[in-house]
Amino acid sequence: MSNPSPALPNPANRSNRLQHLVDLIGIPVLAVITAFIFGGIVIWITSGSLLSVQQAYVGMVRGAFLKERALSESLVATIPYIFLGLAVAVGFKSGMFNIGVEGQFYLGSLAGAFVGQAFGQSTSLPAIILMPLSILAGGLTGAIWAGIPGLLKAKTGAHEVITTIMMNYIAYRTVELVISGPLKDKVSSAVQTPAAAQAAWIWSLSSIPARLKDPLNALGVALYMAIVFFFIGRWIIGRTNLKNRFQKPGQRRFASLGFALAVGALFFFLFPPFTRVAWPFQDPYDRLHIGLVLAVSASVLVWWLLWKTTIGFELRSVGANANAARYAGVNITRNMVVAMAISGSLAGIAGTVEVLGVTACHCMPVLFSTGYGFDAIAIALIAKNDPFGILAAAFLFGAMRNGADMMELSSGVSKYVISMIQAMALLFVAAPAIIRSIYRFRLRRRDEESETLEPRLKG
Amino acid sequence: MSTFTSTKQEKRFAIRGSWWINILFVAFALVVAYYLFNLIIYGKCAGGCVVGILSQSLVYATPIAFAAMTGLLCERSGIVNIGIEGQMLMASMVGYAVNVYAFQALQHIMDPTAAGNISRWMALLCGVLATVLLGLLLAVVSIKYKVDQIIGGTVINILSAGVTGYFYRQFLASDVPPGPGTFPVVAIPGLSQIPVIGPILFDQKPLTYTMLVLVFFVFYMLFYTPWGLRVRSVGEHPRAADTLGVNVNKTRYISVVLASVVAGLGGVWFTLEAVDTFSPNMTNGLGFIGLAAMIFGKWNPLGALAGALIFGLGSSVTSILAIYRPDIPSQIPQMLPYVLTIIVLTGVVGRAIPPAAENTPYEKQ
Repeated sequence: MSNPSPALPNPANRSNRLQHLVDLIGIPVLAVITAFIFGGIVIWITSGSLLSVQQAYVGMVRGAFLKERALSESLVATIPYIFLGLAVAVGFKSGMFNIGVEGQFYLGSLAGAFVGQAFGQSTSLPAIILMPLSILAGGLTGAIWAGIPGLLKAKTGAHEVITTIMMNYIAYRTVELVISGPLKDKVSSAVQTPAAAQAAWIWSLSSIPARLKDPLNALGVALYMAIVFFFIGRWIIGRTNLKNRFQKPGQRRFASLGFALAVGALFFFLFPPFTRVAWPFQDPYDRLHIGLVLAVSASVLVWWLLWKTTIGFELRSVGANANAARYAGVNITRNMVVAMAISGSLAGIAGTVEVLGVTACHCMPVLFSTGYGFDAIAIALIAKNDPFGILAAAFLFGAMRNGADMMELSSGVSKYVISMIQAMALLFVAAPAIIRSIYRFRLRRRDEESETLEPRLKG
Repeated sequence: MSTFTSTKQEKRFAIRGSWWINILFVAFALVVAYYLFNLIIYGKCAGGCVVGILSQSLVYATPIAFAAMTGLLCERSGIVNIGIEGQMLMASMVGYAVNVYAFQALQHIMDPTAAGNISRWMALLCGVLATVLLGLLLAVVSIKYKVDQIIGGTVINILSAGVTGYFYRQFLASDVPPGPGTFPVVAIPGLSQIPVIGPILFDQKPLTYTMLVLVFFVFYMLFYTPWGLRVRSVGEHPRAADTLGVNVNKTRYISVVLASVVAGLGGVWFTLEAVDTFSPNMTNGLGFIGLAAMIFGKWNPLGALAGALIFGLGSSVTSILAIYRPDIPSQIPQMLPYVLTIIVLTGVVGRAIPPAAENTPYEKQ
């Protein structure tokens, strides 16, 4: 090489940062594009004409973005993907392969529907309590269901990949058993649980103006906003010149609390009238619900948990190198269970949000989830387990899922083709060398060196 | 340069510890289970019913044992294969499609019986070929590109679900021409006349016989031949094997390909031997249960066969239970194999130690 690379690259260098960003998202983006090309080739070969490839992909784009309510339907499908992708990512980051998110999702939705119905009927709790309670029930159920494989791995060494898959099958049967037996809706002819009380429903965006007429609901929204803005306030203070003004941590906390209360009050008094006057989401058939807000909050929360807390640091250190973590005094056993419980709770919450937000009956039908869980593994891996990358990957998958029906309808190409595309994308992200050899782009010298050096150091 | 020969020391490890205690224990457990079972169904199962259950459990055990052999061959060489489920699904779809369409083509040039025979064998071959391709994908990804093997297996599972679903919807869901059906039962002359053992062991379909032979063949190959010693050494301590001149990665490639052939046999079992149709996700987790049987057998083919037989027994008992006790919700017995798998994995039957070099790519010095 004629130009020797610097011994220590300067991370603050602007072009280096850009390079870093390209490295970070370049491979996944190219992987997805390549996977779509691959899918096109498969359609081309099996149907024998390039026209149907075009029809299929145009149909998919139309179904995902262009037809009526398409975008919000894509977002509806994105919501569980975000939660489940986060669930898988938390597991991966902690060195646990939680393949069982599907089962946790399933049982979580059952628990959410049950609490929403049972507590709603008997106590008539207000939404501000019942909705969080249902979500909590779903999360707790998912956490327990995922915690069992974690505990088994920690105590007996049973590998979580197989146990979680077995737990999936047990979960399906359990749900079937419970829905067709003790929890069956006696009134309806369909096999499903009774509908949850209205207070437990996850609000659809179009129902918000009506919901906010109840001051308790408005208080709930204000409270949520206050919490969000408390953390935003702290972040702003830490990032700007304001941190010189508030020297002591107590002052900072006080300042952001004041900021949060102000925002909360603003929302409490001004948001309900605003929604009555001008609310962009009026369409009552639009199924988009506030689960989207919860999902985005969850990804911020997971990021904060993994990268800004001691628990997260321990989880990540176990995931990166369990032996090193053990020598450093981390309790591996406890971390396995904690990781699985967090992961499972996210999956359970996904189920509750789905069952109380999307299903037409606001109940748990016997055939409910259709393979969100396995897609979630691909989502987490394509996003490289990054909570914000998961938002993008989940949207991609949600849009594909939503567009698939339209594709099948308009071109006759089976919607299973998207599973193929997703598997290929996952393969290319997992083995970036394939992508590099297809597109023949060179690594920078430093990476090349480290790629050949690293295993030698390990061995 | 020393060559690898299996020593007496090795042979002792082939069947571990006091094996006769294990056999006594299993026999005792079976008797207890039999009485418990009869208690549940009010003593309606005796004589022919028992023979039926045992024969049926051998049938149900076949795909599980094939899956277990696949996992075993892979893991003994240091490659974790959780894509067996996907491999089997692919083989069952390919087998079904080839069987039906080859029969349709051949029907016109020969008599239906011969056409059926040829198309079934072609289907078997193509199913195996499909799994070998998937196996090569796993091998290349995990050996050449050093991807985590569990992710590689997941890719295979998702890919197979997609491909089989796609071809099912495009070509196999409707307007399928009539196929030649599954392999017929082949009663072995003479042996099948033996009272109890005959109908259980010697009145089965060809793949079941293949499975039984294969298990003992794999056992012999792994523990009594230089090749087997090489495979095991590559799975336990690749560096040592490499030092002694074994080509680690070549051995792994060969093991994965051979294992994939076995997985193909297990996959075509579904559509060439069990039922005459294909439906999406018809493997229904049996690939994973096969892995559990392998762990139950402590990575030993004979033990894995025992594990598969226990799972098979569970399934056949379940179907009998549905007949005699319709008041018990069918979901509870349906759950049993999965619960059993978890119990097995927790090491109730003794701690199992996997091959040491599992899921670690080998880097030549």
